[in-house]
Amino acid sequence: MSELGRLALFLGFACSIFAVGSIAWGLRTGYSGPLRSGRRAVWTVCALALLAVILLERALLARDMSYRYVAEHTSKDLPLHYAFSSLWAGQEGSLLLWLLILSAYGSAFLFAYRKRLDPFYDAVAMVIATVMIFFTGLLTFVSSPFRILATPPPDGMGLNPLLQDPGMMIHPPILYTGYVGFIVPFGFAMAVLLLNRSGTRWIEEVRRWTLFCWGFLGVGILLGARWAYVELGWGGYWGWDPVENASLMPWLVGTGFLHSVMIEQRRGMLKTWNIALIALTFELSIFGTFLTRSGVLTSVHSFAESNIGPWFLSFILISGTAATALILYRKALLESENRMDAMISREGSFLFNNVLFVALTFATFLGTTFPVVSEAVTGTKISVSAPFFNRVNVPIALALLLLTGAGPVLSWKRATASVLKRNFVLPTVMGILAAGIAMPFGAEGVYPLVCIFGAAFVVTTIVMEFARGIQARKSSETAALPAQVVHLVKKNKRRYGGYIVHTGIVLLFVGVLGSSVFQKEAHAPLKTGEALHIGPYTLTLRGVTERQKENAILTTAILGVERGGKLVGTEHASKALYSKSQQPMTEVALHWTPAEDLYMILGGVNEDGSASIQAYINPLVSLVWGGGIVMVLGTLIALSDRMRIRREEKAG
Amino acid sequence: MGNSTRLIVMSLVVIAAVGYLILTGVKQTGMQYMTVTELAGLDRAPKAEGFRLDGTVAPGSVVYDQREPKLQFKMTDGKENISVVYEGLMPDAFADGREVVVEGSYRHAERAIYASKLVTKCPSKYEAKGLGKDKS
Repeated sequence: MSELGRLALFLGFACSIFAVGSIAWGLRTGYSGPLRSGRRAVWTVCALALLAVILLERALLARDMSYRYVAEHTSKDLPLHYAFSSLWAGQEGSLLLWLLILSAYGSAFLFAYRKRLDPFYDAVAMVIATVMIFFTGLLTFVSSPFRILATPPPDGMGLNPLLQDPGMMIHPPILYTGYVGFIVPFGFAMAVLLLNRSGTRWIEEVRRWTLFCWGFLGVGILLGARWAYVELGWGGYWGWDPVENASLMPWLVGTGFLHSVMIEQRRGMLKTWNIALIALTFELSIFGTFLTRSGVLTSVHSFAESNIGPWFLSFILISGTAATALILYRKALLESENRMDAMISREGSFLFNNVLFVALTFATFLGTTFPVVSEAVTGTKISVSAPFFNRVNVPIALALLLLTGAGPVLSWKRATASVLKRNFVLPTVMGILAAGIAMPFGAEGVYPLVCIFGAAFVVTTIVMEFARGIQARKSSETAALPAQVVHLVKKNKRRYGGYIVHTGIVLLFVGVLGSSVFQKEAHAPLKTGEALHIGPYTLTLRGVTERQKENAILTTAILGVERGGKLVGTEHASKALYSKSQQPMTEVALHWTPAEDLYMILGGVNEDGSASIQAYINPLVSLVWGGGIVMVLGTLIALSDRMRIRREEKAG
Repeated sequence: MGNSTRLIVMSLVVIAAVGYLILTGVKQTGMQYMTVTELAGLDRAPKAEGFRLDGTVAPGSVVYDQREPKLQFKMTDGKENISVVYEGLMPDAFADGREVVVEGSYRHAERAIYASKLVTKCPSKYEAKGLGKDKS
């Protein structure tokens, strides 16, 4: 069976090369035959990748220890669902998942445009197939998942306990769906340049593909944060760790692009800039995979050190150079059709937004790679961590929050003084009011107050926009308010979907503010019956139990949680000792309320029988996850807007 | 002033502001990345405050008071070693011989790092070792 797997990957490699060659030939000569064969080759790679995944899954589920990959990442006592998800526990399997998603995007793309005979779409498929060559090549020649052991061990080494978590079953596939998806916008951009195409219809298509993977990437990042929160047991969810930063960077640039693309659609400006942003987003998602997988930088999330680093770096270098060269070569195509009329306008605010997003990405990139950069420049290795990012990124992010409110209510071309007055006075008043109300609750310092001001400012502008939209339609409507809101959103899904995403962002900011600035901590060794006080809570140790789980021994401290003298729950903070690795794993107890999380960790059991308990109060964490859900909702609404494409198709 | 000039001025202002943030950020929060031997070899107290060290936990050196919680151990790069004091829970993957990264301030008189952050690299035994060769 392993030979079949290897054969599938090798055929995939051959088919990818064939697809690129055949489409290139078809584009050159104008024959449609080679284009059709090329399309079929892309489908074939997808089928072959699927076959390889099925073969590897079969081996994983059967715990066939003759496979090196299976022996490295599973064991016989591993629960079946984790055996399934160990496909993406190691490097070879992750690369295979990458390839599967990549070729699925290629096929989905060709399926979506199967009725369009324009060779432009074949050129996009060619770019996707070029990336497929890289991944099938890696999987065939450098990092094969189908290596067979000379002497199969009686049992495998087991799955890293950190990865034995329900979140880890969905986080990597969702993150990859985001990462990998940026290949499609990249393909569009390169195809435009290769074929020297003008026109803006592709821009709307790119926007939709970008929105789709941007949404997945965002969810993937938040799921990763959630995993860190419940699994790593340090009381937080984001530590500016290199791997976290790696996933954030393409998301930031992608967000910038989703804004500036509107200027291009509306005013035919910023074409070079937009194509550069698309290319950068794609390169950063490859860079993210590289960071996660190569182990160049120390990270809590990286589970391997390997030999594929140079391959990824070369790939980034070559594709980045090719993209830059193409942009320069087609400079004439990317001439701006309009000029900026005024800085205080929608365009101006979007431009400002873009500069800030790129600056934020740059700061994150620099901070992440600082040891490497500083060694190259000054000869001494300097490293920065969370305090650096809090210092540099927080003010930029706050400036972006303020722009979130200001941008959408500035008019295109030029905002007049009356517009400014109409749109800004109320939000500013509400912002100052909110900051004033928050002050007695302990909000102090510039950044927290700016954050609260900004949040109220943005929410007010959004409410005003909705109110104005409803008012404009009121003459003919007498329906109830919720129905009117729904109707309004349906009328312009893109616009109001965007506002809903903004609302999610505001929730996220408030959640981050609450849980970072107002976190409380307490710890103590407790004997049965003793209590630990933290904030309004009293935690009483009821006892410590020990029991055998499937592949681990679980020590659990049972804690009675009281708030204001009233019992509100019984929580279980545990430590699991995995039999395979003899590694302890903290299992956090979370007492969840909408306003705050009570987060409890069992440090261990002492010789005298007391249990060391550490507890945190993390206010408003639920807004971080809730904000994420609202953002997904807004993204879905914006994505469901097909009107514009149809309208443009009719016009074209 | 034309709009393109204004645009350039705006970008320059943003770049200058971000550059300022980055420079002061590095200055105030940057940590010297050193090997254990380099740090142990210093004969005077270093000027820099923050340090970041890679190394392994010297076997048998770990003293852990779970009640505080306070973790003390010696970190080694095979040649020299340095004491590490960390006030916090022992990370799950922490054990003798594991690769760790510590960040914190160095007290030359005690030859010890007072760590504010302790990251344990995932044990390499999860990766290909001890499984023997491939079938050719």
